[in-house]
Amino acid sequence: MSPLYSDQHLRVSDAERQAVTDRLAEHFAAGRLDPAEFDDRVGRAMSAKIRADLSGLFAGLPETGAPAAPELARGGGGTPGDAPRGTGSPIEFRLDAASGVPTYLQLVHQVEHALRLGYLKPGDQLPKVRDVVASLAINPNTVLKAYKELETKGLTAGRPGQGTFIQATLSQVALPELTGLRKTLLGWLTTADGAGLDQDGIVALFTSALRDFYERRSGSRTRGGAASGETEGVA
Amino acid sequence: MSMNVIETSGLAKRYGRTWALRECTLAVPAGHVAALVGPNGAGKTTLLNLAVGLAAPTAGLVTVLGGRPPGSPAALDGIAFVAQDTPLYKNLSAGDMLHLTRNLNRRFDREYAQTRLAELGIPLNRKAGRLSGGQQAQLALTLALARRPKLLVLDEPVAMLDPVARHDFMATVLTAMADDGVSVVLSSHVLAELERVADYLILLSRGRVQVAGEVDGLLATHRVLTGPAAEAGDYAERLSVVHARRGEAQAHLLVRATAADPVPPGWEAHPVGLEELALAYLREPGAAALPGPARARALPLETGPLETGEPSEVTR
Repeated sequence: MSPLYSDQHLRVSDAERQAVTDRLAEHFAAGRLDPAEFDDRVGRAMSAKIRADLSGLFAGLPETGAPAAPELARGGGGTPGDAPRGTGSPIEFRLDAASGVPTYLQLVHQVEHALRLGYLKPGDQLPKVRDVVASLAINPNTVLKAYKELETKGLTAGRPGQGTFIQATLSQVALPELTGLRKTLLGWLTTADGAGLDQDGIVALFTSALRDFYERRSGSRTRGGAASGETEGVA
Repeated sequence: MSMNVIETSGLAKRYGRTWALRECTLAVPAGHVAALVGPNGAGKTTLLNLAVGLAAPTAGLVTVLGGRPPGSPAALDGIAFVAQDTPLYKNLSAGDMLHLTRNLNRRFDREYAQTRLAELGIPLNRKAGRLSGGQQAQLALTLALARRPKLLVLDEPVAMLDPVARHDFMATVLTAMADDGVSVVLSSHVLAELERVADYLILLSRGRVQVAGEVDGLLATHRVLTGPAAEAGDYAERLSVVHARRGEAQAHLLVRATAADPVPPGWEAHPVGLEELALAYLREPGAAALPGPARARALPLETGPLETGEPSEVTR
Protein backbone atom coordinates (compact mmCIF):
# COMPACT_ATOMS: atom_id res chain seq x y z
CA MET A 1 0.00 0.00 0.00
CA SER A 2 1.46 3.33 -1.03
CA PRO A 3 1.77 5.75 1.89
CA LEU A 4 0.31 8.45 -0.32
CA TYR A 5 -3.10 6.78 -0.22
CA SER A 6 -2.91 5.31 3.24
CA ASP A 7 -4.98 8.03 4.91
CA GLN A 8 -7.50 8.58 2.16
CA HIS A 9 -10.13 6.42 3.81
CA LEU A 10 -9.91 8.28 7.15
CA ARG A 11 -12.93 10.22 8.23
CA VAL A 12 -12.78 13.98 7.96
CA SER A 13 -13.30 16.07 11.10
CA ASP A 14 -15.36 19.25 11.30
CA ALA A 15 -12.22 21.23 11.92
CA GLU A 16 -10.67 19.84 8.77
CA ARG A 17 -13.73 20.71 6.71
CA GLN A 18 -13.58 24.18 8.20
CA ALA A 19 -9.88 24.51 7.40
CA VAL A 20 -10.52 23.50 3.82
CA THR A 21 -13.42 25.90 3.36
CA ASP A 22 -11.39 28.68 4.98
CA ARG A 23 -8.67 28.14 2.43
CA LEU A 24 -11.17 28.00 -0.40
CA ALA A 25 -12.57 31.27 0.87
CA GLU A 26 -9.06 32.69 0.74
CA HIS A 27 -8.77 31.71 -2.90
CA PHE A 28 -12.24 33.12 -3.56
CA ALA A 29 -11.28 36.36 -1.86
CA ALA A 30 -8.17 36.54 -4.01
CA GLY A 31 -10.28 36.15 -7.12
CA ARG A 32 -8.88 32.75 -8.07
CA LEU A 33 -12.30 31.12 -7.95
CA ASP A 34 -15.52 32.43 -9.41
CA PRO A 35 -18.68 32.25 -7.27
CA ALA A 36 -19.96 29.12 -9.02
CA GLU A 37 -16.68 27.24 -8.56
CA PHE A 38 -16.44 28.40 -4.98
CA ASP A 39 -20.01 27.31 -4.25
CA ASP A 40 -19.37 23.94 -5.82
CA ARG A 41 -16.09 23.28 -4.02
CA VAL A 42 -17.37 24.42 -0.62
CA GLY A 43 -20.39 22.20 -1.09
CA ARG A 44 -18.10 19.25 -1.77
CA ALA A 45 -15.92 20.11 1.22
CA MET A 46 -18.85 20.40 3.59
CA SER A 47 -20.29 17.07 2.50
CA ALA A 48 -16.92 15.28 2.51
CA LYS A 49 -16.90 12.17 4.66
CA ILE A 50 -13.42 10.81 4.09
CA ARG A 51 -10.11 12.30 3.04
CA ALA A 52 -10.54 11.11 -0.53
CA ASP A 53 -13.59 13.37 -0.85
CA LEU A 54 -11.35 16.34 -0.21
CA SER A 55 -8.89 15.55 -2.95
CA GLY A 56 -9.05 17.76 -5.99
CA LEU A 57 -10.69 20.64 -4.17
CA PHE A 58 -7.63 22.76 -4.75
CA ALA A 59 -7.10 21.70 -8.31
CA GLY A 60 -5.62 24.49 -10.38
CA LEU A 61 -5.01 26.70 -7.35
CA PRO A 62 -1.67 27.86 -5.95
CA GLU A 63 -0.93 26.88 -2.39
CA THR A 64 -1.89 29.20 0.43
CA GLY A 65 -0.33 29.12 3.88
CA ALA A 66 0.29 25.48 4.69
CA PRO A 67 0.09 22.84 1.97
CA ALA A 68 -3.06 20.75 2.08
CA ALA A 69 -1.91 17.17 2.37
CA PRO A 70 0.61 17.38 5.25
CA GLU A 71 -1.70 19.68 7.21
CA LEU A 72 -4.60 17.28 6.96
CA ALA A 73 -2.48 14.21 7.51
CA ARG A 74 -1.11 15.66 10.73
CA GLY A 75 -4.62 16.35 11.99
CA GLY A 76 -5.15 12.63 12.39
CA GLY A 77 -8.80 13.03 13.33
CA GLY A 78 -8.09 15.56 16.07
CA THR A 79 -8.02 19.29 15.65
CA PRO A 80 -5.47 20.58 13.16
CA GLY A 81 -4.05 22.83 15.85
CA ASP A 82 -2.56 20.13 18.05
CA ALA A 83 0.74 19.94 16.23
CA PRO A 84 3.48 20.33 18.82
CA ARG A 85 5.11 23.73 18.59
CA GLY A 86 6.70 23.71 22.02
CA THR A 87 4.91 26.87 23.11
CA GLY A 88 2.39 24.99 25.22
CA SER A 89 -0.59 26.48 23.44
CA PRO A 90 -2.71 25.01 20.67
CA ILE A 91 -2.95 28.35 18.91
CA GLU A 92 -0.64 30.94 17.46
CA PHE A 93 -1.67 34.56 16.93
CA ARG A 94 -1.30 36.52 13.75
CA LEU A 95 -1.86 40.18 13.01
CA ASP A 96 -3.46 41.92 10.09
CA ALA A 97 -2.09 45.44 9.98
CA ALA A 98 -4.47 46.43 7.20
CA SER A 99 -7.64 45.40 9.02
CA GLY A 100 -7.91 48.60 11.04
CA VAL A 101 -8.95 46.52 14.07
CA PRO A 102 -6.96 47.42 17.21
CA THR A 103 -4.25 44.88 17.93
CA TYR A 104 -5.65 43.74 21.29
CA LEU A 105 -9.06 43.17 19.70
CA GLN A 106 -7.51 41.07 16.96
CA LEU A 107 -6.08 38.79 19.65
CA VAL A 108 -9.44 38.62 21.43
CA HIS A 109 -11.24 37.78 18.19
CA GLN A 110 -8.74 35.07 17.31
CA VAL A 111 -9.25 33.34 20.64
CA GLU A 112 -13.02 33.52 20.22
CA HIS A 113 -12.72 32.25 16.66
CA ALA A 114 -10.50 29.36 17.78
CA LEU A 115 -13.04 28.52 20.49
CA ARG A 116 -15.90 28.45 18.00
CA LEU A 117 -13.98 26.21 15.65
CA GLY A 118 -12.80 23.87 18.35
CA TYR A 119 -9.10 24.68 18.11
CA LEU A 120 -9.27 25.71 21.77
CA LYS A 121 -11.03 23.79 24.51
CA PRO A 122 -11.48 24.43 28.24
CA GLY A 123 -8.21 23.76 30.01
CA ASP A 124 -6.07 24.77 27.04
CA GLN A 125 -3.39 27.32 27.63
CA LEU A 126 -3.13 30.56 25.69
CA PRO A 127 0.31 31.49 24.37
CA LYS A 128 2.49 33.07 27.06
CA VAL A 129 2.62 36.85 26.94
CA ARG A 130 6.37 36.81 26.36
CA ASP A 131 6.03 34.37 23.44
CA VAL A 132 3.36 36.50 21.79
CA VAL A 133 5.52 39.59 22.24
CA ALA A 134 8.59 37.85 20.82
CA SER A 135 6.83 36.41 17.79
CA LEU A 136 4.68 39.39 16.80
CA ALA A 137 6.87 42.24 18.10
CA ILE A 138 3.95 43.88 19.86
CA ASN A 139 3.73 45.74 23.13
CA PRO A 140 3.34 43.42 26.15
CA ASN A 141 0.67 45.77 27.52
CA THR A 142 -1.40 45.03 24.42
CA VAL A 143 -1.29 41.29 25.05
CA LEU A 144 -2.13 41.82 28.72
CA LYS A 145 -5.07 43.99 27.69
CA ALA A 146 -6.38 41.28 25.36
CA TYR A 147 -6.03 38.61 28.04
CA LYS A 148 -7.75 40.84 30.57
CA GLU A 149 -10.62 41.37 28.16
CA LEU A 150 -10.97 37.61 27.66
CA GLU A 151 -10.99 37.15 31.41
CA THR A 152 -13.64 39.82 31.81
CA LYS A 153 -15.74 38.00 29.24
CA GLY A 154 -15.40 34.89 31.38
CA LEU A 155 -13.66 32.91 28.65
CA THR A 156 -10.30 32.54 30.35
CA ALA A 157 -8.76 32.53 33.79
CA GLY A 158 -5.25 33.47 34.79
CA ARG A 159 -3.30 31.06 36.96
CA PRO A 160 -0.56 32.90 38.81
CA GLY A 161 2.87 31.83 37.68
CA GLN A 162 1.50 29.51 35.01
CA GLY A 163 -0.34 31.51 32.43
CA THR A 164 -3.81 32.05 31.04
CA PHE A 165 -6.17 29.14 30.46
CA ILE A 166 -9.45 28.63 28.66
CA GLN A 167 -12.31 28.01 31.05
CA ALA A 168 -15.44 28.33 28.95
CA THR A 169 -16.64 27.55 25.48
CA LEU A 170 -18.54 29.72 23.08
CA SER A 171 -21.87 28.57 21.78
CA GLN A 172 -21.18 26.42 18.78
CA VAL A 173 -23.68 25.86 16.06
CA ALA A 174 -24.02 22.25 15.02
CA LEU A 175 -22.51 21.30 11.72
CA PRO A 176 -25.71 20.44 9.79
CA GLU A 177 -27.15 23.79 10.72
CA LEU A 178 -23.91 25.50 9.74
CA THR A 179 -23.98 23.77 6.37
CA GLY A 180 -27.54 24.93 5.82
CA LEU A 181 -26.70 28.50 6.75
CA ARG A 182 -23.71 28.47 4.45
CA LYS A 183 -25.86 27.17 1.61
CA THR A 184 -28.41 29.95 2.12
CA LEU A 185 -25.65 32.49 2.17
CA LEU A 186 -24.11 31.08 -1.00
CA GLY A 187 -27.50 31.34 -2.65
CA TRP A 188 -27.73 34.95 -1.62
CA LEU A 189 -24.19 35.57 -2.88
CA THR A 190 -25.14 34.17 -6.27
CA THR A 191 -28.15 36.52 -6.38
CA ALA A 192 -25.98 39.47 -5.39
CA ASP A 193 -23.44 38.55 -8.01
CA GLY A 194 -26.19 38.24 -10.59
CA ALA A 195 -27.46 41.68 -9.63
CA GLY A 196 -24.05 43.05 -10.59
CA LEU A 197 -22.49 43.56 -7.16
CA ASP A 198 -18.76 42.97 -7.10
CA GLN A 199 -16.96 41.44 -4.15
CA ASP A 200 -16.32 44.70 -2.34
CA GLY A 201 -19.92 45.73 -2.87
CA ILE A 202 -21.09 42.47 -1.34
CA VAL A 203 -18.80 42.89 1.67
CA ALA A 204 -19.93 46.49 2.16
CA LEU A 205 -23.61 45.54 1.93
CA PHE A 206 -23.23 42.58 4.25
CA THR A 207 -21.23 44.55 6.81
CA SER A 208 -23.70 47.40 6.85
CA ALA A 209 -26.69 45.02 7.11
CA LEU A 210 -24.97 43.11 9.91
CA ARG A 211 -24.32 46.30 11.80
CA ASP A 212 -27.91 47.46 11.32
CA PHE A 213 -29.20 44.10 12.49
CA TYR A 214 -27.29 44.12 15.74
CA GLU A 215 -27.77 47.79 16.39
CA ARG A 216 -31.51 47.38 15.96
CA ARG A 217 -31.55 44.32 18.15
CA SER A 218 -29.65 45.98 20.94
CA GLY A 219 -31.99 48.96 20.54
CA SER A 220 -29.13 51.38 21.03
CA ARG A 221 -29.80 53.17 17.82
CA THR A 222 -29.94 56.89 18.20
CA ARG A 223 -30.38 58.04 14.65
CA GLY A 224 -32.66 57.05 11.79
CA GLY A 225 -31.43 54.16 9.69
CA ALA A 226 -31.20 55.77 6.30
CA ALA A 227 -30.11 53.14 3.83
CA SER A 228 -31.14 49.99 5.59
CA GLY A 229 -34.39 49.21 3.80
CA GLU A 230 -32.98 47.22 0.90
CA THR A 231 -30.70 45.05 2.99
CA GLU A 232 -33.38 43.07 4.80
CA GLY A 233 -33.01 39.84 2.89
CA VAL A 234 -29.56 39.03 4.23
CA ALA A 235 -30.19 37.74 7.70
CA MET B 1 4.91 52.14 38.31
CA SER B 2 3.78 55.66 38.95
CA MET B 3 7.29 56.96 38.37
CA ASN B 4 7.92 59.22 35.39
CA VAL B 5 10.90 58.07 33.36
CA ILE B 6 11.24 61.50 31.76
CA GLU B 7 9.80 64.73 33.06
CA THR B 8 10.38 68.15 31.61
CA SER B 9 9.10 71.59 32.39
CA GLY B 10 9.56 74.58 30.12
CA LEU B 11 12.49 72.77 28.59
CA ALA B 12 14.20 74.62 25.74
CA LYS B 13 17.34 74.17 23.69
CA ARG B 14 18.84 76.67 21.30
CA TYR B 15 21.59 75.93 18.84
CA GLY B 16 23.02 79.25 17.66
CA ARG B 17 19.98 81.27 16.67
CA THR B 18 17.72 78.27 16.13
CA TRP B 19 15.41 76.96 18.81
CA ALA B 20 15.48 73.18 18.49
CA LEU B 21 13.05 72.75 21.37
CA ARG B 22 10.74 75.23 23.05
CA GLU B 23 8.51 75.29 26.12
CA CYS B 24 8.57 71.53 26.29
CA THR B 25 6.57 70.34 29.26
CA LEU B 26 5.73 66.67 29.51
CA ALA B 27 5.92 63.57 31.64
CA VAL B 28 6.50 60.08 30.31
CA PRO B 29 5.24 57.47 32.78
CA ALA B 30 7.16 54.23 33.38
CA GLY B 31 6.00 50.90 32.01
CA HIS B 32 5.27 52.09 28.51
CA VAL B 33 6.73 52.15 25.05
CA ALA B 34 6.52 55.87 24.42
CA ALA B 35 6.83 56.93 20.82
CA LEU B 36 8.24 60.34 20.05
CA VAL B 37 6.86 61.33 16.67
CA GLY B 38 7.28 64.42 14.56
CA PRO B 39 8.57 65.72 11.26
CA ASN B 40 12.27 66.23 10.63
CA GLY B 41 13.57 69.08 12.71
CA ALA B 42 10.74 68.86 15.23
CA GLY B 43 13.19 68.45 18.10
CA LYS B 44 13.01 64.71 18.70
CA THR B 45 16.73 64.05 18.84
CA THR B 46 17.28 67.21 20.88
CA LEU B 47 14.75 66.10 23.46
CA LEU B 48 16.31 62.63 23.70
CA ASN B 49 19.83 64.06 23.96
CA LEU B 50 18.71 66.34 26.79
CA ALA B 51 17.09 63.40 28.58
CA VAL B 52 20.15 61.18 28.43
CA GLY B 53 22.50 64.00 29.39
CA LEU B 54 24.30 64.43 26.08
CA ALA B 55 23.20 68.05 25.87
CA ALA B 56 22.47 70.74 28.44
CA PRO B 57 19.23 72.76 28.31
CA THR B 58 19.24 76.42 27.38
CA ALA B 59 16.24 76.92 29.65
CA GLY B 60 13.86 74.85 31.73
CA LEU B 61 14.20 71.58 33.59
CA VAL B 62 14.54 67.93 32.73
CA THR B 63 14.71 64.99 35.13
CA VAL B 64 14.76 61.24 34.53
CA LEU B 65 13.86 58.06 36.43
CA GLY B 66 11.74 59.81 39.01
CA GLY B 67 13.44 63.15 39.52
CA ARG B 68 17.13 62.49 38.89
CA PRO B 69 19.18 64.93 36.86
CA PRO B 70 20.38 63.54 33.52
CA GLY B 71 24.06 62.67 33.63
CA SER B 72 24.02 61.91 37.38
CA PRO B 73 25.49 58.52 38.33
CA ALA B 74 22.07 57.02 39.06
CA ALA B 75 20.71 58.30 35.75
CA LEU B 76 23.71 57.02 33.81
CA ASP B 77 23.37 53.59 35.39
CA GLY B 78 19.65 53.37 34.82
CA ILE B 79 19.42 54.58 31.22
CA ALA B 80 20.71 52.93 28.08
CA PHE B 81 20.76 54.96 24.90
CA VAL B 82 21.14 53.80 21.33
CA ALA B 83 21.71 56.84 19.12
CA GLN B 84 20.70 57.20 15.47
CA ASP B 85 22.47 54.91 13.00
CA THR B 86 23.58 52.54 15.80
CA PRO B 87 27.04 53.82 16.66
CA LEU B 88 29.62 51.05 16.96
CA TYR B 89 33.36 51.04 16.57
CA LYS B 90 33.40 49.52 13.12
CA ASN B 91 36.93 48.18 13.43
CA LEU B 92 36.31 46.36 16.70
CA SER B 93 34.95 42.85 16.71
CA ALA B 94 31.61 42.08 18.36
CA GLY B 95 33.57 40.40 21.19
CA ASP B 96 35.76 43.49 21.65
CA MET B 97 32.70 45.74 21.76
CA LEU B 98 31.26 43.50 24.42
CA HIS B 99 34.50 43.65 26.42
CA LEU B 100 34.71 47.43 26.04
CA THR B 101 31.10 48.05 27.05
CA ARG B 102 31.53 45.80 30.05
CA ASN B 103 34.57 47.74 31.24
CA LEU B 104 32.99 51.12 30.66
CA ASN B 105 29.91 50.38 32.73
CA ARG B 106 29.34 49.61 36.37
CA ARG B 107 26.67 47.11 35.59
CA PHE B 108 26.88 44.71 32.68
CA ASP B 109 25.22 41.32 32.26
CA ARG B 110 27.85 39.54 30.22
CA GLU B 111 25.99 36.27 30.17
CA TYR B 112 22.90 37.92 28.73
CA ALA B 113 24.97 39.62 26.03
CA GLN B 114 26.78 36.44 25.04
CA THR B 115 23.64 34.32 25.02
CA ARG B 116 21.78 36.90 23.00
CA LEU B 117 24.53 37.29 20.41
CA ALA B 118 24.70 33.51 20.05
CA GLU B 119 20.90 33.39 19.54
CA LEU B 120 21.22 36.05 16.89
CA GLY B 121 24.02 34.17 15.16
CA ILE B 122 26.43 37.11 15.48
CA PRO B 123 30.01 35.75 15.51
CA LEU B 124 32.09 37.34 18.29
CA ASN B 125 35.20 37.54 16.13
CA ARG B 126 33.61 39.45 13.27
CA LYS B 127 34.33 43.17 13.01
CA ALA B 128 31.27 45.29 13.75
CA GLY B 129 31.67 47.06 10.41
CA ARG B 130 31.33 43.76 8.57
CA LEU B 131 28.03 42.78 10.16
CA SER B 132 24.79 43.36 8.27
CA GLY B 133 22.76 46.45 9.11
CA GLY B 134 20.30 44.36 11.08
CA GLN B 135 23.07 42.62 13.01
CA GLN B 136 24.78 45.93 13.82
CA ALA B 137 21.52 47.26 15.18
CA GLN B 138 20.99 44.10 17.21
CA LEU B 139 24.57 44.27 18.54
CA ALA B 140 24.12 47.88 19.70
CA LEU B 141 20.78 46.96 21.26
CA THR B 142 22.19 43.90 23.00
CA LEU B 143 25.03 45.94 24.50
CA ALA B 144 22.46 48.49 25.70
CA LEU B 145 20.14 45.89 27.21
CA ALA B 146 23.01 44.01 28.88
CA ARG B 147 23.44 47.07 31.07
CA ARG B 148 20.05 46.11 32.53
CA PRO B 149 18.63 49.62 32.25
CA LYS B 150 15.36 50.82 33.72
CA LEU B 151 14.87 53.03 30.69
CA LEU B 152 15.90 52.27 27.15
CA VAL B 153 16.11 55.30 24.85
CA LEU B 154 16.24 54.66 21.11
CA ASP B 155 16.67 57.41 18.53
CA GLU B 156 15.26 56.33 15.15
CA PRO B 157 16.21 52.74 15.84
CA VAL B 158 14.71 51.06 12.79
CA ALA B 159 14.85 53.74 10.10
CA MET B 160 17.68 52.04 8.20
CA LEU B 161 16.55 48.44 8.63
CA ASP B 162 14.69 46.13 6.28
CA PRO B 163 11.27 44.83 7.40
CA VAL B 164 12.54 41.56 8.85
CA ALA B 165 15.38 43.25 10.73
CA ARG B 166 12.91 45.85 12.03
CA HIS B 167 10.57 43.20 13.28
CA ASP B 168 13.36 41.28 15.00
CA PHE B 169 14.81 44.44 16.51
CA MET B 170 11.47 45.49 17.99
CA ALA B 171 10.83 41.94 19.17
CA THR B 172 14.07 42.10 21.18
CA VAL B 173 13.11 45.45 22.67
CA LEU B 174 9.60 44.36 23.59
CA THR B 175 10.71 41.01 24.99
CA ALA B 176 13.09 42.88 27.30
CA MET B 177 10.10 44.94 28.37
CA ALA B 178 8.04 41.80 29.02
CA ASP B 179 10.90 40.13 30.93
CA ASP B 180 12.40 42.96 32.96
CA GLY B 181 9.81 45.72 32.80
CA VAL B 182 12.21 48.12 31.13
CA SER B 183 10.50 51.30 29.96
CA VAL B 184 11.14 52.41 26.41
CA VAL B 185 11.20 55.82 24.77
CA LEU B 186 11.84 55.79 21.05
CA SER B 187 11.66 58.30 18.26
CA SER B 188 10.45 57.29 14.84
CA HIS B 189 9.06 58.48 11.54
CA VAL B 190 7.56 55.12 10.73
CA LEU B 191 4.03 55.82 11.91
CA ALA B 192 2.43 52.65 10.60
CA GLU B 193 4.65 50.40 12.65
CA LEU B 194 4.14 52.33 15.86
CA GLU B 195 0.56 51.18 16.05
CA ARG B 196 1.45 47.76 17.42
CA VAL B 197 4.47 48.89 19.42
CA ALA B 198 3.72 52.16 21.17
CA ASP B 199 1.19 52.63 23.95
CA TYR B 200 2.16 56.20 24.74
CA LEU B 201 2.39 58.91 22.12
CA ILE B 202 4.29 62.18 22.16
CA LEU B 203 3.87 64.31 19.09
CA LEU B 204 6.46 67.03 18.61
CA SER B 205 6.01 69.75 16.05
CA ARG B 206 8.29 72.70 15.45
CA GLY B 207 9.97 72.26 18.79
CA ARG B 208 6.73 72.08 20.77
CA VAL B 209 4.73 69.24 22.30
CA GLN B 210 1.48 68.90 20.40
CA VAL B 211 0.05 65.65 21.73
CA ALA B 212 1.02 63.59 24.73
CA GLY B 213 -0.95 60.76 26.24
CA GLU B 214 -1.72 57.07 26.40
CA VAL B 215 -2.57 55.73 22.96
CA ASP B 216 -5.74 53.98 24.14
CA GLY B 217 -6.99 57.18 25.72
CA LEU B 218 -6.18 59.23 22.64
CA LEU B 219 -7.90 56.78 20.29
CA ALA B 220 -10.95 56.55 22.54
CA THR B 221 -11.39 60.33 22.56
CA HIS B 222 -11.07 60.89 18.81
CA ARG B 223 -13.39 59.86 15.98
CA VAL B 224 -13.70 60.49 12.29
CA LEU B 225 -17.08 61.79 11.19
CA THR B 226 -17.99 61.37 7.54
CA GLY B 227 -20.92 63.24 6.05
CA PRO B 228 -22.12 65.87 3.58
CA ALA B 229 -19.53 68.56 2.92
CA ALA B 230 -22.23 71.22 2.91
CA GLU B 231 -22.84 70.71 6.62
CA ALA B 232 -19.18 70.37 7.56
CA GLY B 233 -18.72 74.06 8.24
CA ASP B 234 -21.67 74.05 10.64
CA TYR B 235 -20.44 71.13 12.64
CA ALA B 236 -16.88 72.34 12.60
CA GLU B 237 -18.11 75.21 14.76
CA ARG B 238 -19.97 73.05 17.23
CA LEU B 239 -17.66 70.06 17.47
CA SER B 240 -14.01 70.34 18.26
CA VAL B 241 -12.48 69.46 14.96
CA VAL B 242 -8.78 68.68 14.80
CA HIS B 243 -8.53 68.30 11.06
CA ALA B 244 -11.03 68.41 8.21
CA ARG B 245 -10.74 66.97 4.75
CA ARG B 246 -13.37 68.09 2.31
CA GLY B 247 -14.43 66.91 -1.13
CA GLU B 248 -17.13 68.46 -3.28
CA ALA B 249 -19.86 66.42 -1.64
CA GLN B 250 -18.32 64.55 1.27
CA ALA B 251 -16.22 65.62 4.21
CA HIS B 252 -14.20 63.80 6.86
CA LEU B 253 -13.80 65.51 10.19
CA LEU B 254 -11.39 64.19 12.76
CA VAL B 255 -13.00 65.35 15.97
CA ARG B 256 -12.40 65.04 19.65
CA ALA B 257 -15.32 62.84 20.71
CA THR B 258 -15.90 59.47 22.31
CA ALA B 259 -18.01 56.58 21.06
CA ALA B 260 -20.69 57.69 23.51
CA ASP B 261 -21.03 61.14 22.00
CA PRO B 262 -24.02 61.65 19.70
CA VAL B 263 -23.39 61.55 15.96
CA PRO B 264 -25.12 64.23 13.89
CA PRO B 265 -27.96 62.80 11.76
CA GLY B 266 -26.76 61.75 8.33
CA TRP B 267 -23.16 61.43 9.53
CA GLU B 268 -21.20 58.28 10.16
CA ALA B 269 -18.67 57.92 12.96
CA HIS B 270 -15.56 55.75 12.63
CA PRO B 271 -12.89 54.90 15.13
CA VAL B 272 -9.51 56.36 14.33
CA GLY B 273 -6.10 54.67 14.17
CA LEU B 274 -2.85 55.94 15.60
CA GLU B 275 -1.40 56.84 12.21
CA GLU B 276 -4.49 58.77 11.11
CA LEU B 277 -4.60 60.59 14.43
CA ALA B 278 -0.91 61.52 14.32
CA LEU B 279 -1.15 62.70 10.71
CA ALA B 280 -4.17 64.86 11.48
CA TYR B 281 -2.35 66.64 14.29
CA LEU B 282 0.85 66.98 12.30
CA ARG B 283 -1.15 68.69 9.54
CA GLU B 284 -2.65 71.10 12.08
CA PRO B 285 0.29 72.41 14.07
CA GLY B 286 -2.09 74.67 15.99
CA ALA B 287 -4.12 71.83 17.52
CA ALA B 288 -3.04 70.17 20.74
CA ALA B 289 -4.18 67.30 22.93
CA LEU B 290 -2.38 66.83 26.19
CA PRO B 291 -4.34 64.40 28.35
CA GLY B 292 -1.20 62.89 29.84
CA PRO B 293 0.19 63.57 33.29
CA ALA B 294 1.91 66.66 31.95
CA ARG B 295 -0.08 69.85 32.03
CA ALA B 296 1.24 72.46 29.68
CA ARG B 297 0.03 76.02 29.44
CA ALA B 298 -3.32 76.67 31.07
CA LEU B 299 -5.23 77.81 28.04
CA PRO B 300 -8.92 78.64 28.24
CA LEU B 301 -10.94 75.59 27.27
CA GLU B 302 -13.03 75.82 24.19
CA THR B 303 -16.26 74.37 25.48
CA GLY B 304 -17.43 71.42 23.46
CA PRO B 305 -19.78 68.48 23.97
CA LEU B 306 -16.95 66.35 25.29
CA GLU B 307 -17.09 64.05 28.24
CA THR B 308 -13.72 62.45 28.02
CA GLY B 309 -13.32 62.08 31.73
CA GLU B 310 -9.78 63.30 31.38
CA PRO B 311 -8.38 66.75 31.64
CA SER B 312 -7.79 67.94 28.14
CA GLU B 313 -6.83 71.07 26.37
CA VAL B 314 -7.94 72.04 22.96
CA THR B 315 -6.48 74.88 21.01
CA ARG B 316 -7.47 75.73 17.51
